[in-house]
Amino acid sequence: MAINKNSNGYTFTFAILMVVVVGTLLAVASQGLKSRQDKNTSDKKMINILSAIKVEATRANAQEMFDTYVVESKIISGKDINAAAFDVDIQKEFRDKNLKLSDRNYPLYICEKNGSRYYVIPVVGTGLWGPIWGFVALESDYKTIYGATFDHKGETPGLGAEIKQGFYSDQYAGEMVADTSGTFLPIVVVKDGSGKGMNSKVDGITGGTITSKGVEEMTTRTLAVYVNYFNALNN
Amino acid sequence: MSEKKEELFSKKNRKLMTDPLDGSNPISVQVLGICSALAITVQVEQAFVMSAAVMAVMVFGNIIVSAMRNLIPSRIRIIVQLVIVAALVILVNELLKAFMPDVSEKLSVFVGLIITNCIIMGRLEAFALGNKVWPSFLDAIGNSIGYAWILVVVAFFRELFGSGKILGFQIIPESFYDAGYMNNNMMILPPMALITVALIIWVQRSKNTDLIEEN
Amino acid sequence: MQDLVNIFVKSVFVDNMIFAYFLGMCSYLAVSKTVKTGVGLGAAVIFVLGITVPINYLLENYVLKAGALAWLSDDLADVDLSFLSFIMFIAVIASMVQLVEMIVEKVSPALYGALGIFLPLIAVNCSILGGALFMQERQYSTIAEATAFGLGSGFGWLLAIVAIAAIREKIRYSNVPAPLRGLGITFIITGLMGIAFMSFMGIQL
Repeated sequence: MAINKNSNGYTFTFAILMVVVVGTLLAVASQGLKSRQDKNTSDKKMINILSAIKVEATRANAQEMFDTYVVESKIISGKDINAAAFDVDIQKEFRDKNLKLSDRNYPLYICEKNGSRYYVIPVVGTGLWGPIWGFVALESDYKTIYGATFDHKGETPGLGAEIKQGFYSDQYAGEMVADTSGTFLPIVVVKDGSGKGMNSKVDGITGGTITSKGVEEMTTRTLAVYVNYFNALNN
Repeated sequence: MSEKKEELFSKKNRKLMTDPLDGSNPISVQVLGICSALAITVQVEQAFVMSAAVMAVMVFGNIIVSAMRNLIPSRIRIIVQLVIVAALVILVNELLKAFMPDVSEKLSVFVGLIITNCIIMGRLEAFALGNKVWPSFLDAIGNSIGYAWILVVVAFFRELFGSGKILGFQIIPESFYDAGYMNNNMMILPPMALITVALIIWVQRSKNTDLIEEN
Repeated sequence: MQDLVNIFVKSVFVDNMIFAYFLGMCSYLAVSKTVKTGVGLGAAVIFVLGITVPINYLLENYVLKAGALAWLSDDLADVDLSFLSFIMFIAVIASMVQLVEMIVEKVSPALYGALGIFLPLIAVNCSILGGALFMQERQYSTIAEATAFGLGSGFGWLLAIVAIAAIREKIRYSNVPAPLRGLGITFIITGLMGIAFMSFMGIQL
């Protein structure tokens, strides 16, 4: 074969062929795998929601458990109030700088477990290295936290990443987000160890201050919206 | 000129696999792949996952580039290599997201690091472009194991001293903590990874004096 | 303007590519034997980062991210090409590096020879791709912000490599134990510098 490997023509053709082959391969893979990936993502979301009401689910039974415990999903305020609550991507909305604050959608998951009602609220915010998110479950008095789950994308392992661990999120159980008159109480993350006990304070993670403060910011910002909503419901 | 067919595991080929374990170790001698050695050696599990991913990409990358070595125009060869590596990494990532989602969650942050992992590019450029498929395959295996063992050793020390655990299992007993022992949180931070690698280099070069640099 | 200066200064000290994120270590370690080569490579990195981050910003916002193609036609508003991010960023970076290589060869053949393989290796320098990925992650709102970030990151990288090169030139006459000579001691010094730079972390400007 006498094709000159280094000629412009050959180089050009090779480059174009390469782009076409690689582009097609990746597009096919991405499309073909998309439905499995989407299922994995929604299974994970269901597992997290259930974890906030202290129900352990696995990828295998996530859908089934979700259908059992979550009796209603709705959007309490936002642009698309009648859309499916589960499909709202609050992370995307949080990062969309063009989205007006009043247009943000706030989903709510109403769950029933052992005869009691719980209200699961999704929260999203920013940690040190990337996004953090979680789910906070309120008891039927709309004031007491029943449980919480937090997760992150790339916080420092052993430090900020520990927000995922039980020892951190268990602190939220029993804390009040509103006092008897309905005034919103933010859950403050403290560094001086005064977070023990039910005083609307939790202990931050040593060495993971920025991530812990990120959790405080996201819970404060989002829970305020829901507490207002619940107060309006009561009146 | 007829080339005598090289035995599959001839001495020369076996050397391709064993050299990178010590004498031409990608991290401590070739000075490649440092970024990931620092970033994902906080926990032993991370080190394993990353090493497996790097091995997969390196092996396939070496095989593909070696097979195509007579077709790639030399002017755009760096771009071609990069595109092949990037495509492989994206494919691995998409497959993991679909079939092993929990592993993919742990890996997602490092996906970018694999693409720019200089070891992969370095071996493509230095070896796969000029050698046949089978030796390129062995070279990939050798280098990825050489990379992996350093990663696991660094991660071992960082996880042990940084959080008292290995692979998530508590190793340092409670009694130590009660006596006042505290985890050295510095180990979790990247600068200590550098120092740990430096200590490994110290040990390695004390044993293998050929590697000592002249002033 | 204040915003841009903030981003620039933050990228040099607080988000330093080498000391905070440990990206771009390979060429940093290998080309820091003398201050001269360090400056040369650092300048090349500033140039590449200063150009590729804004270009990738345009790519990200007008081609790649979900809904980015809406300017072409309303039908394309649903298309999400972000899975192509890596490849497109890398392609832009590799082409830029090719350009820089040609410029350096023309302008200073001595520097070209001294940098050797590490000039084309800028394409794989994790700090360049890292710059593009951080830009994507942090979603800077304007191209000016993205450029300030790119230039700042490059400058921070230059600072780091010049600092370590200056130290390495001096310690050549110190009593470093033989097995630690060269690479080993450089790792340790970088580690110590990294610890020092950690004092900048979390500073709000």
